[in-house]
Amino acid sequence: MSNGSKIDILTRVEGHGSVELVRDGGRVVDACLHLSESPRLFEALLVGRRFDEIPDIACRICSICSTVHKVSALQAVEKALAVNISRQTGLLRELAVQGGQIESHALHIFCLALPDYLGVNGIQGLVAHEPEKLRMGLKIKKLGNLIQETIGGRAIHPFNLLVGGVGKVPGADQLLHLKDQLEELRDEVTASIAYVSGLNDILPPLSMHPACAVSGGPPLFGNRLVTSTETIAVNSAAAWLDEQVEAHTYAKVSRFGGKIPFLVGPLARLTLAMPAAYAHYFTDTSIRSAMKARVIELHLAVERAQVLVDLLLNDGLKREQPVVAIVAQGEGTSVMEAPRGVLLHSYRFDDRGVCCAADIITPTSINQGAIAVSLKELIVVMDGAEYEQIRTVAEMLVRCYDPCISCAVH
Amino acid sequence: MKKMRVAIAGLTACSGCQLALLNCEDELPELFEKFAFHFFPMACSPALLEGEYDAALVEGCLSMPHEKELLLELRKRSVHLIALGTCAVWGGVAALRNGEDREWLRQQVYGHNPVASETFEPLPLHRVVKVDAAVTGCPPEKEELLRLLAGLTRGALPVGIDYPVCTECRMRENLCLLTERDMFCLGLLTLGGCGARCPSLGVPCEGCRGPVPEANLAEALEIYSEKGFGRITVLDRLRRFCPEWKL
Repeated sequence: MSNGSKIDILTRVEGHGSVELVRDGGRVVDACLHLSESPRLFEALLVGRRFDEIPDIACRICSICSTVHKVSALQAVEKALAVNISRQTGLLRELAVQGGQIESHALHIFCLALPDYLGVNGIQGLVAHEPEKLRMGLKIKKLGNLIQETIGGRAIHPFNLLVGGVGKVPGADQLLHLKDQLEELRDEVTASIAYVSGLNDILPPLSMHPACAVSGGPPLFGNRLVTSTETIAVNSAAAWLDEQVEAHTYAKVSRFGGKIPFLVGPLARLTLAMPAAYAHYFTDTSIRSAMKARVIELHLAVERAQVLVDLLLNDGLKREQPVVAIVAQGEGTSVMEAPRGVLLHSYRFDDRGVCCAADIITPTSINQGAIAVSLKELIVVMDGAEYEQIRTVAEMLVRCYDPCISCAVH
Repeated sequence: MKKMRVAIAGLTACSGCQLALLNCEDELPELFEKFAFHFFPMACSPALLEGEYDAALVEGCLSMPHEKELLLELRKRSVHLIALGTCAVWGGVAALRNGEDREWLRQQVYGHNPVASETFEPLPLHRVVKVDAAVTGCPPEKEELLRLLAGLTRGALPVGIDYPVCTECRMRENLCLLTERDMFCLGLLTLGGCGARCPSLGVPCEGCRGPVPEANLAEALEIYSEKGFGRITVLDRLRRFCPEWKL
């Protein structure tokens, strides 16, 4: 059994990447992040496909984020074809996206990241040492999936979300069930804020990055990007993000003004619009506080989901047929917040409604610049430490960003 | 009882098949007690290939040289190698423009920068190694994954499904979306096992589980044609998940 080979890839993250530590003699002198996921070339795959196929294919970019990819693609397609969805469809989609947020954050916090804080090696370590915390986390995760299934028909790659509407509108009984489940888990989610914010930090404080988030709509939705100094309208967002191809990574890179890496995701969203009730958790807003940001967002997502369920029930669920799209030439861009940050889908269609250009910008491709800077800083802070120790902490640092590498490369 | 040693790896894919397993929230703690998921980089550290495995579950298609190496290594070390999900079984969405010039497609995304030029046209696993069993679906159903793992503890592999989505749809007494509502539903030609999940909510089957064995494509094309869906439209849609559909 000694024929082992360690594979140099990041673990407990979605997708394939690695951190390369550069050694000079005994010292680690540099660290580089490689996002080496194989590109499926989605932007090329989508060209030639009819408008109604785009969301079904684009959501396959990533499983964890499939609901938000689907909704984002739907919004871009509907904008291009001037389709106006009903209030009910909007609320249902919003609820599904909050379900995705709950599932993704619970997966990261309670399954993938918690082992770092408890000194165990993964879910197997949690089963052995913290089974109750794991079970609680899984219950919250399951609730996120139940919401996604109720609206989207399936937790991964939801099919019930269509251009112009939904396939089958969920019944009031299904929403009442969600309401009960949300109510039942609300206290556990609140308690998990205290638990997570009480965990000892695993990283030294590192410099903060400038932040960027979507704004101008209900939580996680909007029509513009904001930073602490700028507002960028949705139609200028792709140009402003200005993705560049660089040799060391399969995911395209975005920087402020072509130079400064920036942060998107839970910590960026909260630092740009901090609810007063949570400000006291963030005496330190460097990336090591991302776990706290995520658990607070988990709480916000549960609260928002409760509001949405009540709105839908109060309105009374109506059977509706999806709005029929009139095929025409057009172009549409959507920006919204995926669990990991700013997500942009942009499509152009010809007069037959066939896609002739696609552009998708994902949060982890944006964050890779910030991760790379944090890694270099970590090497300086840890100068003199053992190689294996630096490697372990470097991986924890990358995990704090909760990278989703299938999304990043797509 | 000695725990079964299982490796779970992802190649070119969305991690959805692995996530489908992690979505078995009620069963997950017990699964980790019953199985040693020795190599499972998405959920466990470190990524260490060591010794032999009772089974390797592999998600995704192959599109990079090092993925072939990993797959061969897993094959060599494992009693059973199981293709997990549509990409591993058929090629999946990543393969939907197979047959076209890969370099041209790559340039549509990366321009003239040579990034990712060593990648190749996506292949299903069986093109490179012997596959002992397959669980299809984009994503596979959670229950199928649980049945697969339960079967492995008894030394059994999943039995291949040989009926279309249509069969399950009729058993659920759904209205036929193709014949009664003139919708472009692929349930006729698509492997069942999903319980006709999509048509049961009034959404046409998109063929995510790949072709049913002995599908009568010629006859199906006639039925589609009567409903106004031409041959090219049908084949294009079928190739969304399986590039090898042909007449």
